[in-house]
Amino acid sequence: MTAVIADDEELARRVLREYLEREEGIEILAECSNGFEAVKAVAELKPDVVFLDVQMPKLDGFEVLELVEPNVAVVFVTAFDQYAMRAFDAAAVDYLLKPFTAQRLTEALARVRRRVGEVRTTPVDLRNAARTPGEYQTRIVVKDGVKVHVIPAGRLDYAEAQDDYIALRSEGKLWLKQQTIASLEAALDPARFLRVHRSYVVNIDRIARIEPNTKDTWIAVLQDGAQIPVSRSGYTAFRKLVNR
Amino acid sequence: MHPIFQNWRVFLMYLAAWVPLGAILGLLISATGDLNAAETAAVAAPVTVILAFICLSPWYTCRGLPLRSMNAKNLLGQHLLAAIVVAGGVLLVARLAANAFSGLLPGLDQRFRHASPVLTAMVTMVYLLSIALHYVVIEAQTSRRSELLAREAQLKALKAQVNPHFLFNSLNSISALTAIDASRARAMCIRLADFLRVSLRLGERGSIPFNEEMELTRMYLEVEQVRFGGRLRLDEDVDPACSTCQIPALLIQPLVENAVKHGIALIDEGGEIRMQARREKDLMRFTIENPFDPDAPASRSGIGLENVRQRLEARYGNAARMEIQVEPRMYRVTLTLPARES
Repeated sequence: MTAVIADDEELARRVLREYLEREEGIEILAECSNGFEAVKAVAELKPDVVFLDVQMPKLDGFEVLELVEPNVAVVFVTAFDQYAMRAFDAAAVDYLLKPFTAQRLTEALARVRRRVGEVRTTPVDLRNAARTPGEYQTRIVVKDGVKVHVIPAGRLDYAEAQDDYIALRSEGKLWLKQQTIASLEAALDPARFLRVHRSYVVNIDRIARIEPNTKDTWIAVLQDGAQIPVSRSGYTAFRKLVNR
Repeated sequence: MHPIFQNWRVFLMYLAAWVPLGAILGLLISATGDLNAAETAAVAAPVTVILAFICLSPWYTCRGLPLRSMNAKNLLGQHLLAAIVVAGGVLLVARLAANAFSGLLPGLDQRFRHASPVLTAMVTMVYLLSIALHYVVIEAQTSRRSELLAREAQLKALKAQVNPHFLFNSLNSISALTAIDASRARAMCIRLADFLRVSLRLGERGSIPFNEEMELTRMYLEVEQVRFGGRLRLDEDVDPACSTCQIPALLIQPLVENAVKHGIALIDEGGEIRMQARREKDLMRFTIENPFDPDAPASRSGIGLENVRQRLEARYGNAARMEIQVEPRMYRVTLTLPARES
């Protein structure tokens, strides 16, 4: 079994390496000290398991999780984070609490072995569950080949659902990400982003005007001229938000 | 509602205490008015029951007229007025009772008149005593509550102080070092223990000299330097004239913790935390700056800084202030506070 270690603290990586080297049949492919490196290493080396610290430079552990292939097993390694622990429990992803014993790591590996080949579902919702109540995502990370692109929430114009993906429109460019529109909606500040339609989430600051279309539908015209369908419930929600 | 009603046992005990009081009242009435046992009971029983309840009313008047709210003369006047009204009311009840029973016990109403002055004096005294007791109870409650608030604030400071993240990450560093370098692991254990001990001790004190706070800050940073290695660099420039200035305990430590957590920890190559302290006549100025990555993942923050601001305001009012400057890659917090030596 192959593994990648991602933690910004050298000593933390050393413990993991020490324990993993004692295990049978484990090969460490790479050690990464930030989130960008972790995404790159996982994309290029395709390990079976990645050990992810939650707090890291560049990208945090949750952002890395969103960007790695869903068939790579992820074991979170963290010191203390009540919301994150609750989220791990709910999503049944294994996690190690620092400091941990070699025995505990062996157990985590056994769990990973049992689940090899299993495809993870909805990694993005794990992030939503791990968030402090009332706190929203200030940026969206997308993968562009092996590179990572960060879209600050304020620069997102709108997102459109396309099958299993969402298309994110920002500064004239279009980015694709594997995520549901509902989980994106849940991650963004509801005072700034609105689900105006079953398939659309819009940045309210970008709306120039809303025009009636048919009897029960409207069209939102954005500042750059883009037109977005607005449903009856989307229109009601919009009225409620602006009149507040 | 009066706290005595919150527990029926206490209330029953209170009523029981009125039995001897009623008996004394009865004895006095009986002696001064030359009444027999039945006659005494006919008057003393209703008076005692009514008095028992009236003596709970100062709970409301005492809270309406707190001891420190107005001058003593005014306070005394108000309560005396209340006492006279109460005495008058109770006397009226006693008279009515005497009149009502005078059919059964002839001459009771006439003879009771001799006892009236003694009864009035007794009632006034008992009522004033009850006022005094209520003030004692209310004072005790207030001081207990403020003590509780103070302890809560202290606990909060300690909680902010010994951040669980810091503690568990330090333990993890020790865990790593045991296999790599046992003596460094031991040194780290001792540093961590020193830091915890000193922060617990300082947390109990309101004010400490600036140099003691800086000593604690250094202990904290030494532990973090083991964890972050070469990524955490320090520069300290402290005016010796600041060292004896008194500052609220654990005021600076949260700022240093923020600089590590939101600055250094989120930068790949780390950076330098700079601390500077200057004394300008009767003011002291402390500045801490750290580099930060504007593109770093958002980290939860603000609570530590808000805490520092509130503590400054609570202690110094407008005489102290906290300024935050955010440059493209540099975060700077400046505290300006009165330089007091004691």
